[in-house]
Amino acid sequence: MTAALEIDGLTKRFGDTLAVDAIDLVVPQGSFYGLVGQNGAGKTTTLSMAVGLLRPDDGHARIFGADVWSAPDDAKALVGVLPDGLAMPERLTGREVLTYLGLLRGLPRDVVTARADELLAVLELDSAPRTLVIEYSTGMRKKIGLATALLHAPRLLVLDEPFEAVDPVSAATIKTILRGFVVGGGSIVLSSHVMALVEQLCDHVAVIDGGRVAAAGPLDEVRGGRSLEDTFVALVGDEDGGVKELSWLSR
Amino acid sequence: MAVALTMAAMKVAALRHALRGQRAQTAVTGAVLGAVLAGGTLYLAFGDLDLLAAAYAVWLLGWLLGPVFMGGGDETLRPEYFALLGLPARTMAFGLLVAAFVGLAPLISLVALVGLVIAGVRLGVGNALVAVPALVLQLAVFVLLSKVGVALVGLALRSRLGAIATGVVNGAILAGLGQIWVVFWALGQTGIPSVVWYLPSGWGLLAVRGTWWALPALAGLVLVLLAAWAGLLSWRVGATRVSFAGRRRPITAASSSGAVVAKELRAWSRDLVRNYQVTFALAYGVCFAASPLLLSWDGMLPYAGPIFLVMAAAMSANVYGTDGTALWLNLLTPGGSDVRGRQWAWLVVHAPPAVVVTLVCTAVAGGPWPMVLSLLPALLGGAVGLVPLISVYGLVPGTDPHRRANNPLRTSEDDGGLTGQAYAALALVAATAVPAALAAHWFGWAGPVIGVLTGLSCYRGFGALAARRLRTHGVELLQEMRTGRRAAGSRSVRTRFAALPAGRQAVAWVCFGLGAIPLIPQGVLAAVFVSRNMLRHSWFVATYMSPGLRYPVAIAFMVLGATMYAVGTWLVRPTSAKVAG
Repeated sequence: MTAALEIDGLTKRFGDTLAVDAIDLVVPQGSFYGLVGQNGAGKTTTLSMAVGLLRPDDGHARIFGADVWSAPDDAKALVGVLPDGLAMPERLTGREVLTYLGLLRGLPRDVVTARADELLAVLELDSAPRTLVIEYSTGMRKKIGLATALLHAPRLLVLDEPFEAVDPVSAATIKTILRGFVVGGGSIVLSSHVMALVEQLCDHVAVIDGGRVAAAGPLDEVRGGRSLEDTFVALVGDEDGGVKELSWLSR
Repeated sequence: MAVALTMAAMKVAALRHALRGQRAQTAVTGAVLGAVLAGGTLYLAFGDLDLLAAAYAVWLLGWLLGPVFMGGGDETLRPEYFALLGLPARTMAFGLLVAAFVGLAPLISLVALVGLVIAGVRLGVGNALVAVPALVLQLAVFVLLSKVGVALVGLALRSRLGAIATGVVNGAILAGLGQIWVVFWALGQTGIPSVVWYLPSGWGLLAVRGTWWALPALAGLVLVLLAAWAGLLSWRVGATRVSFAGRRRPITAASSSGAVVAKELRAWSRDLVRNYQVTFALAYGVCFAASPLLLSWDGMLPYAGPIFLVMAAAMSANVYGTDGTALWLNLLTPGGSDVRGRQWAWLVVHAPPAVVVTLVCTAVAGGPWPMVLSLLPALLGGAVGLVPLISVYGLVPGTDPHRRANNPLRTSEDDGGLTGQAYAALALVAATAVPAALAAHWFGWAGPVIGVLTGLSCYRGFGALAARRLRTHGVELLQEMRTGRRAAGSRSVRTRFAALPAGRQAVAWVCFGLGAIPLIPQGVLAAVFVSRNMLRHSWFVATYMSPGLRYPVAIAFMVLGATMYAVGTWLVRPTSAKVAG
């Protein structure tokens, strides 16, 4: 079966820094794939290259077999993306953003309206119908971003830190939506710092460190008998392993 | 004082980091230009003090208006950084003031103000002693007036009414400055008006000359401005609303290009910075064209609409930059025609006022209809074609709207880049009307036909080029906006400009910055005055020449201006040899 996302030797260099060093990853169809790593490990850069938002120096990314860079139209129709911290059409309300993007994707008007209604209701964004996106809180921005990623019924979701700054109630809603998406045959790649969340949601995991894959595979294989956090610290932690304390706070 | 010194040290550290690479070159250019201006001011201190007072009035205007037009002024240290420290408002304002003295612009102004000491020494020992405190206070007045002005405009941009009012006022002021000769002429002033002595910029010189109240007045003004700024700072900390909470009509479009138009029209009506830009351009066009009416000359009035269009295009030439990283949505949605939608929205916003203003003003002036009706379609098409094209080829990376600090005018950290882009847009958009204008001049009613043709081809051709650039280089543009740096391998006018050695860069600045003076007032306008036999006319050199020399001098100035633009363009031209490397 074709992989939902196949990353093949993706490499990116910024000046003298090698941000992503020939990463290979295969996200099988129907999997819920977690990408964990420290700040600056290369998660966002890898995901940006995988969906066509950053041109790689080398390597390929294929979404259901369609090359993101040579057959972008096919690849991009199948993927929904939630990038971290990028702007939106800021002077639109949430509903207007969804209407605009739905029409831009060529969806019929009534389909757009129905899906926007449902997304806004499920994500609890319908209580602020007049609020412009620029006035949204960080959590609301994540939710409207997720709504735009889901709007065109993609088969693969690529989500960069989808739970950051989201309140626990909304997080529970989002988890339910994402699990339902996977049960229905969809595939998800998400990046996160929160190990517990990845253990709770994902069935596959990759540990990224210094622009390379430190470990990848089904969750239970990667973590062995330990918790994911222990495995992660063992894989990427400092050599000395000791956790430093602040001299003036700990007595 | 400890707070003030810490803030000054922070500013020094920040400047040390900022003044590397490209920005260092921009700073060197600015310093060279500033040093020339400061040197000129010092030279005046050895001569007629009336001229020196006038020069300080110009410095004051520069401090007051510069930041308002060029991205909100120096924001290295922002009051928001210190909001959690619980500093009293006065302490913070004083600290920020001390830090504001650290920088190139204050240093250059300080040099220019040494003219006070020179004037003092010429007048006597006592005068020279007074000059020292006068110099410090005068500089504080410059810096504080600038800060208070920016804060007031920022405050005004929190409501639509304020945005529109500020746009009208600033447009009128800038147009007035451009047409200052009209004011002088109307007032019957041939020399320097004595009012320059009594502006706050002249108080330092008054003190040096021995006016007893001037020094206390300067000190008082500093205290009042400091208090005002402290008050404005506490207003500023707290979210700034930069959009208009009006009605929310649902999007009724049914196609993808209709959706882009709907989105853009909402941005034009809800984004108060865009409200400000449109009203600014409109006020500029109308005031610029109408001001010669003071001399009972209505020959410029019909061109209010065309001037508005050119100015509006220059102000919106960074459309993609100001929307920031929202470009990612277009990259992930291939097939949507974003450029065409933006062009249509630009037309819907700008064409009605341009048409109305043009028709009314031309009717009042009684013609020349063929010329005006040629310029209108040519410029409408030229503007909607060039605005997206300039913004994708000469992108100045903006700060994402949701990440901007509480200074709505500051849409980018690169205000030098924005200024250069605006000048380029002014020249290029105006150039699109040249064929139609020539046709109207030579063949009358053939002009409008040419205007419609060139307008349509600019709209279609430049729009298609912009769309193609977005398709092929959209990813690089997005990366540029994410990082604020130009992606490696792509070179535009701006990078080429920044890559020039400092000396050649300064020459290019002078060419682009000052080329308009010989070309337009000393060239074109002077020729118009000569043709109307309006002789010995304010500062138009050609009108003072003997009969045989009048046209040659005006033409020589035009050639000089055109040559300056040509040299500037040649300096920043793309060289394939360099790109290949």
